[in-house]
Amino acid sequence: MSRAARKLILPGILVGLLVAVVLLAPVLPLADVRMMDVPGRFSGPSAEHWLGQDEFGRDVLARLIWGGRASLFIAVGSALAAAVLGTTLGLLGGYFRGVVELVTVRASEVILCLPPLLLALLVVTLLGAGTGPLILALTLLYTPNYARVVYAATLQVRSLDFVTAQRAMGAHPLAILTRTILPNVLPPLLVQMSLVVASAMVIESGLSFLGLGVVPPTPSWGLMIRAARGAMEVAPMLLVWPSLALAGTILSFNLLCDRLQSVLDPRQITAGGALWLHRPARKAAAAPQPAAPDAPLLRIRDLAIAVEGPRHGLDLVRRADVTVLPGQTVALVGESGSGKTLTSLALMGLLPDRLAVTGGEALYTTREGTTVDLAQLDDEGFRRLRSTEISMVFQDAAAALNPVLRIGDQLAETLRVAGTPEAGIPARVVDLLRQVGIPDPERRCRAYPHELSGGQRQRAMIALAVANSPRLLLADEPTTALDPTIQAQILQLFLQLKRDTPGMGLVFVTHDLAVVAEIADRVVVMYAGEVVEQGPVAEVFARPRHPYTAALIASVPEGGAERLVAIPGSVPPPHAMPPGCRFAPRCDFARPLCEAAAPVASAPAEGRSTRCIRWKEVT
Amino acid sequence: MLRYIAYRSLIALFLVWLVVSLVFLLLHLIPGDPAELLLSQGNIAADPQAVAALREKMGLNAPLWQQYIEHVTGVLTGDLGASFRDRAPVMEQILLRLPRTLEVILAAAFLAALFGVPLGTYAAIRADGKIDAFVSLLSSVALSTPVFVVGSVVILIFAQQLQWLPAGGFVPFSEDPVQHLKLLILPAGAVGLSVWAVITRMTRASVLEVLQRDYVRTARAKGLPRGPILRRHVVRNALIPVLTVLGLEMGTLIGGTVLVEFVFNWPGLSGYLVAAVDARDYPEVVGIVMVISVLFVFLNLLVDVVNALLDPRISLGAS
Amino acid sequence: MTNGLNRRGFLASTAAAAGTLAFLGPRRLHAQEGGTLRFALSAYPPSFDAWASTGTAAGTIKLMMHRGLVSYGPDGALRGELAESWEADDEGAWVFKLREATWHDGSPVTAADVAWTVAEVAKPDSAAFRQGQLSLITAVETPDDRTVRMVTAEPLAVLPGWFAHYHMPILKEGEPRDTTIGAGPFTLESTERGVSLSLKAFDGYYKEGLPKLAGIEATVYADENLRVAALEAGDVDLSEYVPWQAMAQVEESDALKLDSVDGPFMYLTFNASRPPFDNPLVRRAVAHAIKREDIVAAAFYNRGGALAHLPIAEESEFYNPEFADAWAYDPEKAQALLAEAGYPDGFDCTLLSTAQYGMHQSTAEVCQAYLSMVGINAQLDLPEWSSRVQKGNEGSYDLAVMGTTADNNDPDGLVNVLDGSLPESFVRSYGIDTPEISALFAKGRATFDPEERRAIYREMEQVAIDTAPIAGLAWRAQGYGMKSNVEGFTNMPGQLTFYSGITLEETFFG
Repeated sequence: MSRAARKLILPGILVGLLVAVVLLAPVLPLADVRMMDVPGRFSGPSAEHWLGQDEFGRDVLARLIWGGRASLFIAVGSALAAAVLGTTLGLLGGYFRGVVELVTVRASEVILCLPPLLLALLVVTLLGAGTGPLILALTLLYTPNYARVVYAATLQVRSLDFVTAQRAMGAHPLAILTRTILPNVLPPLLVQMSLVVASAMVIESGLSFLGLGVVPPTPSWGLMIRAARGAMEVAPMLLVWPSLALAGTILSFNLLCDRLQSVLDPRQITAGGALWLHRPARKAAAAPQPAAPDAPLLRIRDLAIAVEGPRHGLDLVRRADVTVLPGQTVALVGESGSGKTLTSLALMGLLPDRLAVTGGEALYTTREGTTVDLAQLDDEGFRRLRSTEISMVFQDAAAALNPVLRIGDQLAETLRVAGTPEAGIPARVVDLLRQVGIPDPERRCRAYPHELSGGQRQRAMIALAVANSPRLLLADEPTTALDPTIQAQILQLFLQLKRDTPGMGLVFVTHDLAVVAEIADRVVVMYAGEVVEQGPVAEVFARPRHPYTAALIASVPEGGAERLVAIPGSVPPPHAMPPGCRFAPRCDFARPLCEAAAPVASAPAEGRSTRCIRWKEVT
Repeated sequence: MLRYIAYRSLIALFLVWLVVSLVFLLLHLIPGDPAELLLSQGNIAADPQAVAALREKMGLNAPLWQQYIEHVTGVLTGDLGASFRDRAPVMEQILLRLPRTLEVILAAAFLAALFGVPLGTYAAIRADGKIDAFVSLLSSVALSTPVFVVGSVVILIFAQQLQWLPAGGFVPFSEDPVQHLKLLILPAGAVGLSVWAVITRMTRASVLEVLQRDYVRTARAKGLPRGPILRRHVVRNALIPVLTVLGLEMGTLIGGTVLVEFVFNWPGLSGYLVAAVDARDYPEVVGIVMVISVLFVFLNLLVDVVNALLDPRISLGAS
Repeated sequence: MTNGLNRRGFLASTAAAAGTLAFLGPRRLHAQEGGTLRFALSAYPPSFDAWASTGTAAGTIKLMMHRGLVSYGPDGALRGELAESWEADDEGAWVFKLREATWHDGSPVTAADVAWTVAEVAKPDSAAFRQGQLSLITAVETPDDRTVRMVTAEPLAVLPGWFAHYHMPILKEGEPRDTTIGAGPFTLESTERGVSLSLKAFDGYYKEGLPKLAGIEATVYADENLRVAALEAGDVDLSEYVPWQAMAQVEESDALKLDSVDGPFMYLTFNASRPPFDNPLVRRAVAHAIKREDIVAAAFYNRGGALAHLPIAEESEFYNPEFADAWAYDPEKAQALLAEAGYPDGFDCTLLSTAQYGMHQSTAEVCQAYLSMVGINAQLDLPEWSSRVQKGNEGSYDLAVMGTTADNNDPDGLVNVLDGSLPESFVRSYGIDTPEISALFAKGRATFDPEERRAIYREMEQVAIDTAPIAGLAWRAQGYGMKSNVEGFTNMPGQLTFYSGITLEETFFG
């Protein structure tokens, strides 16, 4: 049972108990709900009357239970009736579309133009108060809700392969609807159901309270509350019990609905949406040390990134060693899940919640010539470096740009971070856009992200990243989401940037070896969270010293910049890492020794390293 | 943008026409004679003479299409007929009372947003913390407690026991602004409580979702401090669905303040409707339903337009 | 208490009353101390029809705007209003001398106005509250502008009292029946249907120095709990219909006072135009089926008493001790009567009441519970008050719970509750035929000898007990709650409690 499903237990039990009690009301040893005992009115709880007696001396407990029965009967009755009606309409409309949709789903939606309580009142006007009209009113009211939900779900299921297949085989539409589609739309129906029951109870009790619903002496919580208001001074508990029962029942159904939703819809984000907002400063920020004059821009040594929390110690990245010199371009290469993106995010302090740097160091040399260990920084420390020192181009520019702010405003905001004088900002924004090759920048800076083409969005993203002339630019697969011609253009832009800002280091994350060849000075190959090989691009590509690198290169089709062709097998998941060399299970060169212990790095040549004990044999 | 509004207005007009026709049909397509239906009570048969008189009064003897045209033209010209009870023009009564109902709703929405947005945002930022749990519990209880229970309790506390506020009633603003506002507080608060719960929950969920968005990461990558990130990137984006929900809630409330108006003796449109329902004053009921529905439809239109203003992506849909 | 006596004595007493009543209070002494009284009304008038029976809340509003020929004073005695004095002349006709009074529009009140009013009300289709009585007036003569002479076929002792009722004001000739132009102490300034009425002191009112208030702001609090809350919170100065459960609370409060009298009574009315309640046996069965003490306790918090006969108070000289328990609770007898009427297994019916007044609903619920024990399965119908009135007038019910007072403390005041020959009204059973009772009432009206009258009304009660045109249920207290500084407002005694609105002209803030 999943965690979410366990959360269903409490509301499930509550609702179950409630339903059981009202269902069993006729066999429970309850007093007659109509039996008056006027001399005993307003008596407090006694052995005979556990919750006391009401203004006519009737048993409060019995009336509470029978009142719940009346309320639930109306609520559940109308919820079921509306479910049947709405589901039918939704199924028909969603399956047949066209005219059928118009007369089923769309027609029922007209009801949604009337506020709910109003519609109920209208029906009561025409038919008079009482249980029957109430159920009818509530059924009418909730039918379109079901119709909508089922319609949407049917549309989804309808286009699935197995439904299309059945249709092609000539199955009767009715059979398809009931046997195939209906079971698939049940989950959203269930959620809708609990929602409707709660909502129907609110309306029923309200109408009864107004005297337009259930007619006395039939007990109903709304009526009991109405009656108890008058006797509030004499017997306040008479008001408390039905109010509690009503609020508690609605609460239970709402809870059930909430929990059902989170069980059935796992996309829901539940916890920890924003740890960075309130994560305490982990470590005392180390005082910046003056850097050695020849210090590289960035030196990552033995960096480890792991999952925090219950599954602590699960390494996603380990033993990562990367060095970036000023003006150098380093490519991080690897399949999905190799940890290359995580490594770059760690350098910005932007790791997803629950992930953290757990070891190693990442020494960065600032403009002022001091050394900062990025592995030790808290969010505030990172904030001072971001944009002006280290900046990042994200993969999916469409998502990475705020959709409701104009491009120019987003750029201006970035410029302000570096303290650019306000007066100079508009001109600088236009400059930046022109620099990244956006045509007509004076006009384009007023555009919203969605008004730009994919390539232009990525250019705008790059403009954001370089706005404050960072010394280290991280680019996380900046060309992946684009089509090939645009990819080439963006790549040209990066080359252009490199030429314009010779001192800027660039870490280029990609899985595209052709791109690497074109842009990078050094290449770092990552596999399953480890750096397996690195060295100058030309050397590594000419003579790979790790079987994985070799396989990568081999998988690139001749002369093409096509996507990486997968190597047989797949990257092992983080919790099932082989004990020794992580590539061993997929490696043609693997020996038993490989699986015994993780291989240490060897240096096949000056400026190169590999994590393979048989590197000499790899060609 | 203008094209979008025009397009949505057309849809709204179509919906209004549907509602107007629906109300007409509700009366005429239900089996049995509407006049008889209105007059009979439970198992008591209606007096045939009275039925005939009512048929005449309601113009039921004319051909159906003619009745329909009269019904529609009446609505179009703002003529909703006169009350069965005292021949008062229905439109006049509605115009008198509608602003009061709207006032309660707006005040409630204002209170709900005033307290709901910051609390919801805070709960999201501190998701799964103690305050979050408390706010979540409070909003669940607020959402589950019917407004007439809340109303009865606040009257007992604030009017009868503490005597801080009047128990109920209405004084026109022009007559006594202070008293008017004092009288507004309790009903607006009682209505606002459930709206507050909805807004708080919605804000929390929405902020949580926005916090996961890539553009928030971008904002962080840009080196923005927390404050501007939250204000410009998180809350602003998160508020779009919250505003939508608030608008829809207000629409529901237009016909849903019945209980509050009853409990606080607030002479708004809903109370008028209940009295009309009770007296089976058909022209009044139909008139009020019509006006509320039209408002409802146009409020939804307004919500969509505001949405489009806030979220530039939406207007694409129309073109 | 009032009336009665032999003819001469009767005339003498009324003349004396007319003499003493002349002008109450020192002239202009309290001249318009001002202040606007905030009055909590229990229901909005269903209409402003001055002569229709529109309920007691509407009656109170009428007493602010309109005046009749005579009225009852706070002591319960008949006194002059538009009429300065009245007496029966030698032919047995009643001669009213009008005082100088003006309508709200400034024109004088004339004899012609009175004659027109009587003629309008007496029209067979007038549906006026007093139509039945005024139709007995055969001619109205106006010898001069100030004199009205009403001729009846035979001398009628109770005639002046008819004109004291709040549903019987004099209207200006030619005005519509729902006019707001009257001759009363307050003019209607503005209204909002269902919500409030705003009245201002009429500076041309014929009683010098009255009204003392500058105006009345009457607000409808249909929900009785809120009415009490409004009184406690200080939103209103004076409230009618203090609900019984709240009376103790008002009494105990330092800031408030309660003025309560016993007088009104609860009873059941029947729709006798169709089975089963066209059968007197069934009606009697109902009368015996209900345990009244439970109504007194549940609906009136013991502020009242059981009523198992006609609503003639024990203090009245017309009280008949032998009937005290005539309709006493006796379920076996009720069942026997039902069986005799051909309903051994009971039947289904509707029981009309209202949800607007808690005690009406509670009374109905107790009745329903007891009726079910003898096999009568009554389904409750609980609309708001004005609909309930309308349904009562139209006969849209089988059984109905009703509560009211007699017109006055004389048994003739019960005519509206009992006499089936009067036009249909919600205050009595619908479509009921009561030839004997009608005849006895007529006889009583024309009789001046007290002993003879007692005998007539005794016989009338006997007939009523046997045929049960209504079924008495309970006496109840009727309370007005007010702030401690409200002075001059009097809850009038006994059956006159709903006339109390007339003392609003003397009400002031102390």
